[in-house]
Amino acid sequence: MRVGSLSRDDAQTRMAANGLALHIPPITVRVRSPLRFLAEQMRDLYCDYELADAGDFADVDIRMVRVRGIRNFPHTEVQFIVDGTTPFDPFPLAQALPMFEWGLNWVFAHRMHRYLLLHAAVVERGERALVLPAWPGSGKSTLAASLSCRGWRYLSDEFGIIALEGVNVVPFARPAALKNESIDVMREFAPDAFIGTLYPETRKGTVAHFRVPTQSILRGRAPARVAAIVFPQFNAGASVSLSALGKATAFLKLAGNAFNYEVVGERGFRAVSALVRKSDSYVLRYGDLASAHAALDDIVRRTHMQ
Amino acid sequence: MVTTKSEIGWRLPAGQRLLFEDFDDGIVMFDALVGATHLLNASAAETLAIVEDAPGLATTDIHRRLLDRLSIPEAALPLSELEVLLWRLEDLNLVCAVAQ
Repeated sequence: MRVGSLSRDDAQTRMAANGLALHIPPITVRVRSPLRFLAEQMRDLYCDYELADAGDFADVDIRMVRVRGIRNFPHTEVQFIVDGTTPFDPFPLAQALPMFEWGLNWVFAHRMHRYLLLHAAVVERGERALVLPAWPGSGKSTLAASLSCRGWRYLSDEFGIIALEGVNVVPFARPAALKNESIDVMREFAPDAFIGTLYPETRKGTVAHFRVPTQSILRGRAPARVAAIVFPQFNAGASVSLSALGKATAFLKLAGNAFNYEVVGERGFRAVSALVRKSDSYVLRYGDLASAHAALDDIVRRTHMQ
Repeated sequence: MVTTKSEIGWRLPAGQRLLFEDFDDGIVMFDALVGATHLLNASAAETLAIVEDAPGLATTDIHRRLLDRLSIPEAALPLSELEVLLWRLEDLNLVCAVAQ
Protein backbone atom coordinates (compact mmCIF):
# COMPACT_ATOMS: atom_id res chain seq x y z
CA MET A 1 0.00 0.00 0.00
CA ARG A 2 1.34 3.44 -0.91
CA VAL A 3 0.93 6.72 0.90
CA GLY A 4 -1.00 8.22 -1.99
CA SER A 5 -3.70 5.57 -1.67
CA LEU A 6 -4.72 7.07 1.68
CA SER A 7 -7.36 9.77 1.64
CA ARG A 8 -6.31 13.08 3.17
CA ASP A 9 -8.43 12.29 6.23
CA ASP A 10 -6.91 8.80 6.56
CA ALA A 11 -3.38 10.19 6.34
CA GLN A 12 -4.11 12.78 9.02
CA THR A 13 -5.81 10.27 11.31
CA ARG A 14 -3.02 7.72 10.98
CA MET A 15 -0.29 10.25 11.52
CA ALA A 16 -2.00 11.58 14.64
CA ALA A 17 -2.59 8.09 16.08
CA ASN A 18 0.01 5.34 15.49
CA GLY A 19 1.95 7.32 12.94
CA LEU A 20 2.71 7.01 9.25
CA ALA A 21 5.43 4.39 8.82
CA LEU A 22 7.18 5.00 5.50
CA HIS A 23 9.59 2.68 3.73
CA ILE A 24 12.29 5.06 2.52
CA PRO A 25 14.94 2.52 1.61
CA PRO A 26 17.31 1.71 3.16
CA ILE A 27 15.34 2.63 6.30
CA THR A 28 11.80 2.76 7.65
CA VAL A 29 10.69 5.99 9.29
CA ARG A 30 7.65 6.38 11.53
CA VAL A 31 6.24 9.92 11.78
CA ARG A 32 3.69 10.84 14.39
CA SER A 33 2.08 14.25 14.55
CA PRO A 34 -1.26 15.87 15.24
CA LEU A 35 -0.45 18.59 12.67
CA ARG A 36 -3.03 18.12 9.93
CA PHE A 37 -1.24 20.39 7.45
CA LEU A 38 1.95 18.36 7.88
CA ALA A 39 0.10 15.12 7.10
CA GLU A 40 -1.29 16.71 3.97
CA GLN A 41 2.10 18.04 2.81
CA MET A 42 3.77 14.68 3.47
CA ARG A 43 1.03 12.84 1.62
CA ASP A 44 1.69 15.05 -1.41
CA LEU A 45 5.48 14.65 -1.34
CA TYR A 46 5.67 10.99 -0.34
CA CYS A 47 2.63 9.70 -2.26
CA ASP A 48 4.58 6.96 -4.12
CA TYR A 49 6.33 5.51 -1.05
CA GLU A 50 5.27 2.19 0.47
CA LEU A 51 3.60 2.21 3.85
CA ALA A 52 4.84 -0.18 6.50
CA ASP A 53 2.37 -1.79 8.86
CA ALA A 54 1.84 0.05 12.12
CA GLY A 55 3.51 -2.76 14.08
CA ASP A 56 6.56 -3.06 11.82
CA PHE A 57 9.98 -2.12 13.12
CA ALA A 58 10.93 1.44 12.30
CA ASP A 59 14.61 2.44 12.25
CA VAL A 60 13.66 5.98 13.21
CA ASP A 61 10.65 7.22 15.20
CA ILE A 62 9.95 10.92 14.78
CA ARG A 63 7.31 13.07 16.44
CA MET A 64 6.50 16.58 15.29
CA VAL A 65 4.56 18.44 17.98
CA ARG A 66 3.46 21.99 18.70
CA VAL A 67 5.28 23.79 21.49
CA ARG A 68 4.95 27.24 22.96
CA GLY A 69 7.13 29.94 21.42
CA ILE A 70 9.93 31.64 23.27
CA ARG A 71 7.67 34.53 24.32
CA ASN A 72 4.96 32.17 25.45
CA PHE A 73 2.72 32.82 22.48
CA PRO A 74 0.64 29.67 22.45
CA HIS A 75 1.27 26.99 19.84
CA THR A 76 3.56 28.92 17.53
CA GLU A 77 6.45 26.52 17.08
CA VAL A 78 7.12 22.90 16.23
CA GLN A 79 9.49 20.51 17.97
CA PHE A 80 11.33 17.63 16.28
CA ILE A 81 11.51 14.63 18.63
CA VAL A 82 13.48 11.59 17.56
CA ASP A 83 13.27 8.45 19.66
CA GLY A 84 12.28 10.64 22.60
CA THR A 85 15.11 13.17 22.29
CA THR A 86 15.00 16.78 21.05
CA PRO A 87 18.27 17.55 19.25
CA PHE A 88 17.18 20.96 17.89
CA ASP A 89 15.54 24.17 19.04
CA PRO A 90 11.93 24.44 17.80
CA PHE A 91 11.16 25.92 14.37
CA PRO A 92 8.23 28.17 13.42
CA LEU A 93 5.15 25.99 13.14
CA ALA A 94 4.71 26.59 9.42
CA GLN A 95 8.20 25.14 8.80
CA ALA A 96 7.30 21.70 10.16
CA LEU A 97 8.00 19.91 6.88
CA PRO A 98 11.45 21.48 6.27
CA MET A 99 12.26 20.67 9.88
CA PHE A 100 11.23 17.05 9.39
CA GLU A 101 13.41 16.79 6.28
CA TRP A 102 16.47 18.41 7.84
CA GLY A 103 15.96 16.47 11.04
CA LEU A 104 15.81 13.18 9.19
CA ASN A 105 19.04 14.09 7.35
CA TRP A 106 20.68 14.75 10.70
CA VAL A 107 19.49 11.46 12.15
CA PHE A 108 20.66 9.53 9.11
CA ALA A 109 24.11 11.17 9.13
CA HIS A 110 24.54 10.41 12.83
CA ARG A 111 23.36 6.80 12.82
CA MET A 112 23.92 4.99 9.55
CA HIS A 113 27.53 4.06 10.09
CA ARG A 114 27.19 0.73 8.36
CA TYR A 115 27.76 2.84 5.24
CA LEU A 116 30.23 5.48 4.18
CA LEU A 117 28.05 8.59 3.92
CA LEU A 118 29.15 11.13 1.34
CA HIS A 119 27.53 14.55 1.17
CA ALA A 120 26.48 14.01 -2.40
CA ALA A 121 23.67 13.75 -4.89
CA VAL A 122 23.51 10.51 -6.87
CA VAL A 123 21.93 9.86 -10.26
CA GLU A 124 22.07 6.97 -12.69
CA ARG A 125 21.60 6.44 -16.40
CA GLY A 126 22.15 3.21 -18.32
CA GLU A 127 23.29 1.27 -15.25
CA ARG A 128 25.99 3.89 -14.63
CA ALA A 129 25.70 5.90 -11.41
CA LEU A 130 27.34 9.29 -11.01
CA VAL A 131 28.15 10.47 -7.50
CA LEU A 132 28.05 14.28 -7.24
CA PRO A 133 29.74 15.24 -3.96
CA ALA A 134 29.43 18.88 -2.91
CA TRP A 135 28.76 21.10 0.04
CA PRO A 136 25.60 23.25 0.24
CA GLY A 137 25.27 25.96 -2.39
CA SER A 138 26.97 24.11 -5.20
CA GLY A 139 23.68 23.26 -6.91
CA LYS A 140 23.73 19.49 -6.46
CA SER A 141 20.05 19.21 -5.45
CA THR A 142 18.90 21.25 -8.44
CA LEU A 143 21.18 19.29 -10.73
CA ALA A 144 19.92 15.92 -9.47
CA ALA A 145 16.27 16.99 -9.62
CA SER A 146 16.63 18.36 -13.14
CA LEU A 147 18.40 15.22 -14.37
CA SER A 148 15.58 13.09 -12.98
CA CYS A 149 13.20 15.05 -15.21
CA ARG A 150 15.28 14.04 -18.26
CA GLY A 151 15.31 10.27 -17.87
CA TRP A 152 17.96 9.82 -15.19
CA ARG A 153 17.21 7.75 -12.12
CA TYR A 154 17.33 9.83 -8.93
CA LEU A 155 18.97 8.10 -5.98
CA SER A 156 19.54 11.05 -3.64
CA ASP A 157 20.11 14.79 -3.48
CA GLU A 158 21.96 14.68 -0.15
CA PHE A 159 23.57 11.32 0.65
CA GLY A 160 25.96 9.27 -1.43
CA ILE A 161 25.57 6.06 0.54
CA ILE A 162 28.51 3.81 -0.24
CA ALA A 163 28.44 0.16 0.81
CA LEU A 164 31.53 -0.50 2.92
CA GLU A 165 32.18 -3.70 1.02
CA GLY A 166 32.25 -3.15 -2.73
CA VAL A 167 31.64 0.09 -4.58
CA ASN A 168 27.87 0.11 -4.91
CA VAL A 169 25.85 3.15 -4.01
CA VAL A 170 22.58 2.67 -2.14
CA PRO A 171 19.57 4.90 -2.90
CA PHE A 172 17.99 7.14 -0.30
CA ALA A 173 15.52 8.80 -2.63
CA ARG A 174 13.80 11.59 -0.75
CA PRO A 175 12.39 14.94 -1.83
CA ALA A 176 15.06 17.40 -3.00
CA ALA A 177 15.19 20.59 -0.96
CA LEU A 178 15.31 23.40 -3.54
CA LYS A 179 16.43 26.75 -2.22
CA ASN A 180 15.88 30.35 -3.31
CA GLU A 181 16.55 30.95 -7.04
CA SER A 182 16.70 27.23 -7.82
CA ILE A 183 12.97 26.90 -7.13
CA ASP A 184 12.09 29.09 -10.11
CA VAL A 185 14.88 27.53 -12.16
CA MET A 186 13.29 24.09 -11.67
CA ARG A 187 9.77 25.37 -12.29
CA GLU A 188 10.90 26.76 -15.61
CA PHE A 189 13.04 23.73 -16.47
CA ALA A 190 10.37 21.14 -15.64
CA PRO A 191 6.90 22.75 -15.51
CA ASP A 192 5.24 19.36 -14.91
CA ALA A 193 7.37 18.46 -11.90
CA PHE A 194 5.65 18.57 -8.53
CA ILE A 195 7.20 21.18 -6.27
CA GLY A 196 5.50 21.53 -2.90
CA THR A 197 4.73 24.42 -0.58
CA LEU A 198 7.07 27.43 -0.48
CA TYR A 199 8.62 28.02 2.94
CA PRO A 200 10.00 31.58 3.10
CA GLU A 201 12.44 32.83 5.73
CA THR A 202 13.84 29.49 6.82
CA ARG A 203 17.43 29.29 8.06
CA LYS A 204 18.43 28.55 4.47
CA GLY A 205 16.19 31.17 2.83
CA THR A 206 13.12 30.15 0.86
CA VAL A 207 12.78 26.39 0.51
CA ALA A 208 10.46 24.14 -1.51
CA HIS A 209 10.62 20.38 -2.04
CA PHE A 210 10.79 18.56 -5.35
CA ARG A 211 8.86 15.29 -5.42
CA VAL A 212 10.96 12.33 -6.54
CA PRO A 213 9.73 10.88 -9.86
CA THR A 214 7.72 7.66 -9.45
CA GLN A 215 10.11 5.50 -11.48
CA SER A 216 13.00 6.37 -9.17
CA ILE A 217 10.97 5.47 -6.08
CA LEU A 218 9.89 2.15 -7.58
CA ARG A 219 13.61 1.27 -7.95
CA GLY A 220 14.37 2.58 -4.49
CA ARG A 221 15.74 -0.73 -3.19
CA ALA A 222 18.14 -1.34 -6.08
CA PRO A 223 21.78 -0.34 -5.50
CA ALA A 224 23.75 1.08 -8.42
CA ARG A 225 27.30 0.70 -9.65
CA VAL A 226 29.38 3.86 -9.41
CA ALA A 227 30.85 4.79 -12.78
CA ALA A 228 32.25 8.25 -12.03
CA ILE A 229 32.60 10.87 -9.34
CA VAL A 230 31.84 14.43 -10.40
CA PHE A 231 32.34 17.41 -8.09
CA PRO A 232 29.85 20.04 -9.33
CA GLN A 233 30.49 23.77 -8.96
CA PHE A 234 27.72 26.12 -10.06
CA ASN A 235 28.52 29.70 -11.03
CA ALA A 236 25.67 31.58 -12.68
CA GLY A 237 26.50 32.39 -16.28
CA ALA A 238 29.83 30.54 -16.29
CA SER A 239 30.71 28.43 -19.31
CA VAL A 240 30.88 24.70 -18.79
CA SER A 241 34.20 22.97 -18.15
CA LEU A 242 35.10 19.47 -17.10
CA SER A 243 38.52 18.74 -15.55
CA ALA A 244 39.84 15.28 -14.73
CA LEU A 245 41.10 14.79 -11.19
CA GLY A 246 43.99 12.63 -10.06
CA LYS A 247 43.00 9.72 -7.85
CA ALA A 248 44.89 10.85 -4.75
CA THR A 249 43.32 14.30 -5.09
CA ALA A 250 39.88 12.76 -5.57
CA PHE A 251 40.50 10.54 -2.53
CA LEU A 252 41.20 13.51 -0.27
CA LYS A 253 38.24 15.49 -1.61
CA LEU A 254 35.90 12.53 -1.05
CA ALA A 255 37.20 11.74 2.43
CA GLY A 256 36.86 15.40 3.38
CA ASN A 257 33.33 15.47 2.01
CA ALA A 258 32.06 12.44 3.92
CA PHE A 259 29.85 12.83 6.99
CA ASN A 260 31.36 9.86 8.80
CA TYR A 261 34.79 9.06 7.31
CA GLU A 262 36.46 9.33 10.73
CA VAL A 263 33.73 7.27 12.36
CA VAL A 264 33.98 4.25 10.07
CA GLY A 265 37.79 4.34 10.22
CA GLU A 266 39.75 1.80 8.23
CA ARG A 267 36.64 0.53 6.43
CA GLY A 268 36.05 4.06 5.18
CA PHE A 269 39.64 4.33 3.93
CA ARG A 270 39.24 1.06 2.03
CA ALA A 271 35.84 2.11 0.63
CA VAL A 272 37.16 5.44 -0.67
CA SER A 273 40.21 3.67 -2.12
CA ALA A 274 38.02 1.19 -3.98
CA LEU A 275 35.75 3.96 -5.18
CA VAL A 276 38.47 6.14 -6.68
CA ARG A 277 40.37 3.20 -8.15
CA LYS A 278 37.31 1.97 -10.04
CA SER A 279 35.89 5.36 -11.04
CA ASP A 280 37.14 8.38 -12.94
CA SER A 281 36.79 11.67 -11.09
CA TYR A 282 36.09 15.14 -12.44
CA VAL A 283 35.34 18.69 -11.44
CA LEU A 284 32.37 20.08 -13.38
CA ARG A 285 32.03 23.87 -13.50
CA TYR A 286 28.78 25.04 -15.04
CA GLY A 287 26.49 28.01 -15.30
CA ASP A 288 23.28 26.45 -16.59
CA LEU A 289 21.53 23.11 -16.40
CA ALA A 290 21.53 22.27 -20.11
CA SER A 291 25.33 22.44 -20.42
CA ALA A 292 25.79 20.46 -17.19
CA HIS A 293 23.44 17.76 -18.50
CA ALA A 294 25.39 17.52 -21.76
CA ALA A 295 28.68 17.12 -19.86
CA LEU A 296 27.25 14.40 -17.58
CA ASP A 297 25.69 12.57 -20.55
CA ASP A 298 29.13 12.61 -22.14
CA ILE A 299 30.75 11.08 -19.03
CA VAL A 300 28.22 8.24 -19.06
CA ARG A 301 28.86 7.64 -22.77
CA ARG A 302 32.61 7.44 -22.07
CA THR A 303 32.12 4.88 -19.31
CA HIS A 304 30.08 2.73 -21.68
CA MET A 305 32.99 2.72 -24.14
CA GLN A 306 35.58 1.68 -21.51
CA MET B 1 72.96 10.04 29.41
CA VAL B 2 72.85 12.23 26.34
CA THR B 3 71.77 10.59 23.08
CA THR B 4 73.46 12.03 20.01
CA LYS B 5 71.76 12.24 16.62
CA SER B 6 73.83 9.38 15.23
CA GLU B 7 72.58 7.08 18.00
CA ILE B 8 68.91 7.67 17.29
CA GLY B 9 66.85 4.84 15.87
CA TRP B 10 63.27 4.88 14.67
CA ARG B 11 60.24 2.71 15.07
CA LEU B 12 56.47 3.02 14.75
CA PRO B 13 54.50 3.89 17.90
CA ALA B 14 53.15 0.86 19.78
CA GLY B 15 49.97 -0.43 18.16
CA GLN B 16 50.53 1.61 15.01
CA ARG B 17 49.41 0.23 11.65
CA LEU B 18 49.81 2.08 8.38
CA LEU B 19 47.83 1.46 5.20
CA PHE B 20 49.09 2.84 1.90
CA GLU B 21 47.35 3.49 -1.42
CA ASP B 22 49.72 4.44 -4.21
CA PHE B 23 48.16 6.61 -6.93
CA ASP B 24 49.71 8.42 -9.90
CA ASP B 25 49.41 11.83 -8.22
CA GLY B 26 50.44 10.88 -4.69
CA ILE B 27 50.38 8.29 -1.94
CA VAL B 28 47.51 8.31 0.53
CA MET B 29 48.23 6.76 3.91
CA PHE B 30 45.86 5.83 6.70
CA ASP B 31 47.10 5.97 10.27
CA ALA B 32 45.00 3.23 11.84
CA LEU B 33 46.01 4.19 15.38
CA VAL B 34 44.18 7.52 15.32
CA GLY B 35 42.14 7.28 12.11
CA ALA B 36 43.98 10.09 10.28
CA THR B 37 44.65 10.21 6.54
CA HIS B 38 47.76 11.82 5.02
CA LEU B 39 48.92 12.63 1.51
CA LEU B 40 52.59 11.69 1.20
CA ASN B 41 55.33 11.99 -1.37
CA ALA B 42 57.43 8.95 -2.26
CA SER B 43 60.25 9.82 0.18
CA ALA B 44 57.93 10.01 3.18
CA ALA B 45 56.00 6.88 2.24
CA GLU B 46 59.17 4.84 1.65
CA THR B 47 60.69 6.09 4.89
CA LEU B 48 57.64 4.94 6.81
CA ALA B 49 57.67 1.59 5.04
CA ILE B 50 61.36 1.10 5.94
CA VAL B 51 60.75 1.98 9.60
CA GLU B 52 57.75 -0.35 9.68
CA ASP B 53 59.75 -3.23 8.11
CA ALA B 54 62.81 -2.79 10.34
CA PRO B 55 62.02 -1.15 13.68
CA GLY B 56 64.94 0.48 15.47
CA LEU B 57 67.04 1.29 12.39
CA ALA B 58 69.39 4.24 12.76
CA THR B 59 68.90 7.31 10.60
CA THR B 60 71.97 6.54 8.51
CA ASP B 61 70.71 3.00 7.80
CA ILE B 62 67.29 4.30 6.84
CA HIS B 63 69.00 6.81 4.57
CA ARG B 64 70.98 4.10 2.78
CA ARG B 65 67.91 1.93 2.26
CA LEU B 66 65.86 4.89 1.10
CA LEU B 67 68.36 5.92 -1.57
CA ASP B 68 68.42 2.32 -2.72
CA ARG B 69 64.63 1.99 -2.87
CA LEU B 70 64.14 5.28 -4.69
CA SER B 71 67.19 4.71 -6.94
CA ILE B 72 68.46 8.23 -6.38
CA PRO B 73 71.92 9.62 -5.56
CA GLU B 74 72.71 11.02 -2.14
CA ALA B 75 72.81 14.53 -3.60
CA ALA B 76 69.10 14.24 -4.39
CA LEU B 77 68.24 13.48 -0.76
CA PRO B 78 71.00 14.33 1.72
CA LEU B 79 71.00 12.79 5.18
CA SER B 80 70.10 16.16 6.72
CA GLU B 81 66.84 16.24 4.72
CA LEU B 82 65.93 12.79 5.91
CA GLU B 83 66.53 13.87 9.51
CA VAL B 84 64.14 16.79 9.03
CA LEU B 85 61.60 14.45 7.45
CA LEU B 86 61.83 11.94 10.30
CA TRP B 87 61.27 14.62 12.91
CA ARG B 88 58.25 15.90 10.95
CA LEU B 89 56.87 12.37 10.92
CA GLU B 90 57.55 12.22 14.64
CA ASP B 91 55.54 15.44 15.11
CA LEU B 92 52.61 13.64 13.46
CA ASN B 93 53.12 10.70 15.83
CA LEU B 94 53.79 8.42 12.87
CA VAL B 95 57.27 7.39 14.12
CA CYS B 96 59.07 7.40 17.50
CA ALA B 97 62.73 8.14 18.16
CA VAL B 98 64.49 5.53 20.28
CA ALA B 99 67.97 5.52 21.81
CA GLN B 100 70.27 2.91 20.22
